[in-house]
Amino acid sequence: MNSPFPKSSSAAGEGKIIARLQPDGVSGLETITYQYPLKLISPSKPAEDKSVLVFLLSYGGGLVGGDQVDLSIHVHPQAKLTIVTQGHTKVFTSTKPDIVTRQTLRAEVAAGGALCLLPDPVQPFAGSVYEQTQIFKLAKDASLCLLDWVTQGRSARGEDWSFVRWLGRNEVWTRPGDGDNGGRLLVQDSLILDSAQAHPQMKTLRESMHAIGIMGTLILRGPLMKSLGEFFLDEFAALPRIGARDWRSEDAKKAEVNEGLSAAETWRRDRLKMEKESGLLWSAALVRGCVVVKFGAPEVEAGRAWIGSMLVQEGSIDEIFGNHALLCVK
Amino acid sequence: MSQLQDGKAMVNEAEAIENDIADLERRLAEAKLKQRQALQQRNSTEESELEATLVPSPSQTTLHSPANHFLLLLSDSALPLGSFAFSSGLESYLAHNKPPPFSPSPSYNTTSLPNNPVPRTKPPPPSFTSFLPLSLSSYASTTLPYVLAAHRNPTQLALLDDTLDATIVCTVGRRASVAQGRALLSIWERSLSASLPPGSASAEKAAGILKPFSVLLRSSSSSSTSSATNTSSSSSGWNDPPPVSAHLPPLFGAICALVGLSLEQTAYVYLLSHVKALVSAAVRAGMFGPYQAQKTLASRAAQEMIAAMVEREWETGVEKAGQSVPVMDLWVGRHEVLYSRIFNS
Repeated sequence: MNSPFPKSSSAAGEGKIIARLQPDGVSGLETITYQYPLKLISPSKPAEDKSVLVFLLSYGGGLVGGDQVDLSIHVHPQAKLTIVTQGHTKVFTSTKPDIVTRQTLRAEVAAGGALCLLPDPVQPFAGSVYEQTQIFKLAKDASLCLLDWVTQGRSARGEDWSFVRWLGRNEVWTRPGDGDNGGRLLVQDSLILDSAQAHPQMKTLRESMHAIGIMGTLILRGPLMKSLGEFFLDEFAALPRIGARDWRSEDAKKAEVNEGLSAAETWRRDRLKMEKESGLLWSAALVRGCVVVKFGAPEVEAGRAWIGSMLVQEGSIDEIFGNHALLCVK
Repeated sequence: MSQLQDGKAMVNEAEAIENDIADLERRLAEAKLKQRQALQQRNSTEESELEATLVPSPSQTTLHSPANHFLLLLSDSALPLGSFAFSSGLESYLAHNKPPPFSPSPSYNTTSLPNNPVPRTKPPPPSFTSFLPLSLSSYASTTLPYVLAAHRNPTQLALLDDTLDATIVCTVGRRASVAQGRALLSIWERSLSASLPPGSASAEKAAGILKPFSVLLRSSSSSSTSSATNTSSSSSGWNDPPPVSAHLPPLFGAICALVGLSLEQTAYVYLLSHVKALVSAAVRAGMFGPYQAQKTLASRAAQEMIAAMVEREWETGVEKAGQSVPVMDLWVGRHEVLYSRIFNS
């Protein structure tokens, strides 16, 4: 007999989500439990039935120094789970550098299942110490869309990579028993941002960031994300060459603007203009069956506008997980 | 009569003078002999002193040992790894940070955050002194733990290679690492391995580690080429990755261990080779000339930075390796979209 109320789990900061395909063909939650400071909310009346939506929240809108969040996720065969946040995940200042704020996520996705994690960026405040580990174990035909992004902090308060340390690690594994015994590491993406300078001749953390205000990584894997992955690879291949000159006359350039461009071509032209004006840099690569997209921009909102534009234009996320999956990137 | 007496006296006098001369000559000869003996004695003591202090036997010098011989070989820029083909993001860094010919209107910055009290920090104009520390930090944090781990435990070579393959999430970076790794494996097989004394422990260890690795690599590369003929090359990346790829860092660590280099020597030579490759790329990219290049290589700053990086990563396990300069991933990844290129990375 299932209780209508979320059960509380034992340890502080622990949470568990189990998504399962219900008999009516709609994804639902079998289990959703959490403990302070973690908070999970699933809308009781889902606006969409393409995937089940869970808001990943923390009390007080952020993680206080020393908070430990440990979330485990299971997505059963054919089920689809979407996780979003409400606003930046703030990481507050630690009183001492050895007090580490940790967020750990372990997710397992079964065959045919899909997990979409498009949260808001993490915003580490000055003096914060943060370690984030996200481990995904995917069955052979499971799909994953993961966005992990971090900002320079509260830029309005003059914070510019002013934290003590930020460690972020994302691992994508095949599940044990799917051909490779014990599971195989497919992609590991780790970021080590440490204010400790190894030598006076080395650059400070702020100098190393090279005036970038937001840095993001998107990892796509599985049959449902193949179209989106190829879209990123194609758009990257279609980028105008850096250092190429446009020898056409001003008239010729204007003439092209007025020529009948397709909707996709107009979108690409506007996006390229936005990339150039905002100083956004990105790259995409197909690595061991995963598409890994990296992007960085001087301004946080430019990064958000860019990734949102890419995901909306291609359409897979909306089609597979529903429009609510794009809440944080629009 | 008096004449006779006079004559007798003169003879006596002449005899006396002759006696004097004979006496003086004898004393001179004695003195010369003594001098010669004294000189000989001094020379012989000096010679023995020279032998003791300045001319040790060659076998006692620190230079002459197999490990040092390989240290010099592996640190030589003539080692045919093909490093000259790669700039590790330097070329892309220059292209991305080229000052624009016209002063740009920062329309986006002014509209997005009008009340921002902090002026945006602008990146400095491109220079080698800016790029070198960034590149060294990034190279050390992402790959040095794999060099150290393979040196400490060469039997883990295949696993380390596969794990490292999962962490290089950039086409251009993978190409550079694999091209140099495969070149090093070829040098080992065709050139270096024969120099290990046959039947020795190190030769047997090498055969037990590098032979199976190379067999694994050949099996995977032959299967990947056969699948590439079936499907287009761009879609082959969607398939399962090969068991090993032959990246440079773990192979370098394992081979250095097998030829007897110490862990510290291995780490230092590994990073020094990176600095040498960067400096050489900078010369060919026209950033400076050969004298400035040697000055950069010889500088205290270069020495201290390499030492600091070795110290920073000494205890870093491969599970803690990661990118410390994220913008480097963007520069290296975007090398592919440069209009003109003189390097492969």
